[in-house]
Amino acid sequence: MRWTKADTTQYLPEKQYIDTVIIPLVPFNPASDQHMVKQAFQRELNQVFTNLIEKEYKGRIFLAPDYHYLDGQQEIEFTRVNAWIQKFKEQPFQHIFLFTFDNTWKKYESELDGHLLWVPGMGSGDIQSTETQSFVREQAHQISELIQAYW
Amino acid sequence: MSDKKRVSRRQFLNYTLTGVGGFMAAGMLAPMVRFAIDPVLKTKESGDFVSVASVDEITNEPQRFEWTIDQVDAWYESEVQKTAWVYRNENDEIVALSPICTHLGCTVDWASNEEYPNEFFCPCHGGRYTKDGANVPGTPPTAPLPHFEFKVEEGMLYLGEAKESGGGL
Repeated sequence: MRWTKADTTQYLPEKQYIDTVIIPLVPFNPASDQHMVKQAFQRELNQVFTNLIEKEYKGRIFLAPDYHYLDGQQEIEFTRVNAWIQKFKEQPFQHIFLFTFDNTWKKYESELDGHLLWVPGMGSGDIQSTETQSFVREQAHQISELIQAYW
Repeated sequence: MSDKKRVSRRQFLNYTLTGVGGFMAAGMLAPMVRFAIDPVLKTKESGDFVSVASVDEITNEPQRFEWTIDQVDAWYESEVQKTAWVYRNENDEIVALSPICTHLGCTVDWASNEEYPNEFFCPCHGGRYTKDGANVPGTPPTAPLPHFEFKVEEGMLYLGEAKESGGGL
C-alpha cells in the first residue's frame, strides 16, 4: 500500500490485515555541492528499494511518504520521527520499520520507537545498471525476510 | 456523324473541370474522414502480447518468468515489471498464472512454504492456491489466481493480459 488515493481507499476497510509500515528516511542538504549528487543517488536508491518491498508485500506493508530531513541533525530529528511513528501506531500499525542508508541513525537507534533498517548503500553508481539491479534485488530479498521474521 | 453527339467546347471544359475538381476534393477529404473514423477502424487487440520465454524452457514445475511492459497512465509513462508462473499441466497444456494474490495484492510464491510443497503460498497472510490457481478455502483469498492470455508462435511463449478466472471457492 502506498500513500495514494487508490491504495488508502483499499486500506481503510482492510486495516486488520495491513499491520506493517516502512518509513524511508532520506537525508539531504541543498547547500552542499559536495554531497548533493550522492544524496540524490541515495534517495533514488531508497525509492527503488522501498518500492520493490512494497510491491512484493502490498497486502501487508504500508509504505509511508518519505521522511526528508537536513543531514546531520539526528539529535533534533528523532523526536519528529517518533511523532510520525506515534501517529501510525494509532491506526493501529504494529510493526514500524525505518529504512535508511544514512548510518548516523545507528547511534540514535535506541531513541527510535521503530525498527531501524540501516543498509550500507552504494556510494555511487548507475541506477539502471544490471549491477545495481542485482544488488538491490538481493538486499531487498534479505530485508523482506527480516521483516517476515517479525510477523 | 450526328450533331447530337458532338461535345461542345464549353461542355468539354465543364466535364474536365468537374472531374479534376472532384478528384482534388476527394484527395483532401479522404484523409480527414480516415482520421475522423480512425479509432473505430483500429482493431482492438486484447492487450499487446509480449514474448516471455522459449517454449522449451517450460516444465511441469511452475517457473517464474519476468518481463517489462510500457504502461501509460494519464500522467506518466512507466516501465512496469510483470511476472508470471508458467508450467505445463498433466494434459501438456501451458498454464500461465498471475502471481498477484487476490486477497490484497501481495506476490505469491510457488512451494515457498515447507508445509504446502505443492501449492502457491502468499507470505503476507498465508493465502494458498492449488497448482491450477484455485484458492484453498479457509485461507484469506476468495478468488483464484488470474490466468494470463497466451499464444505460442515460432517456439516462443507470448503473454498478454491477466484475466480473472472467476469461480472463487
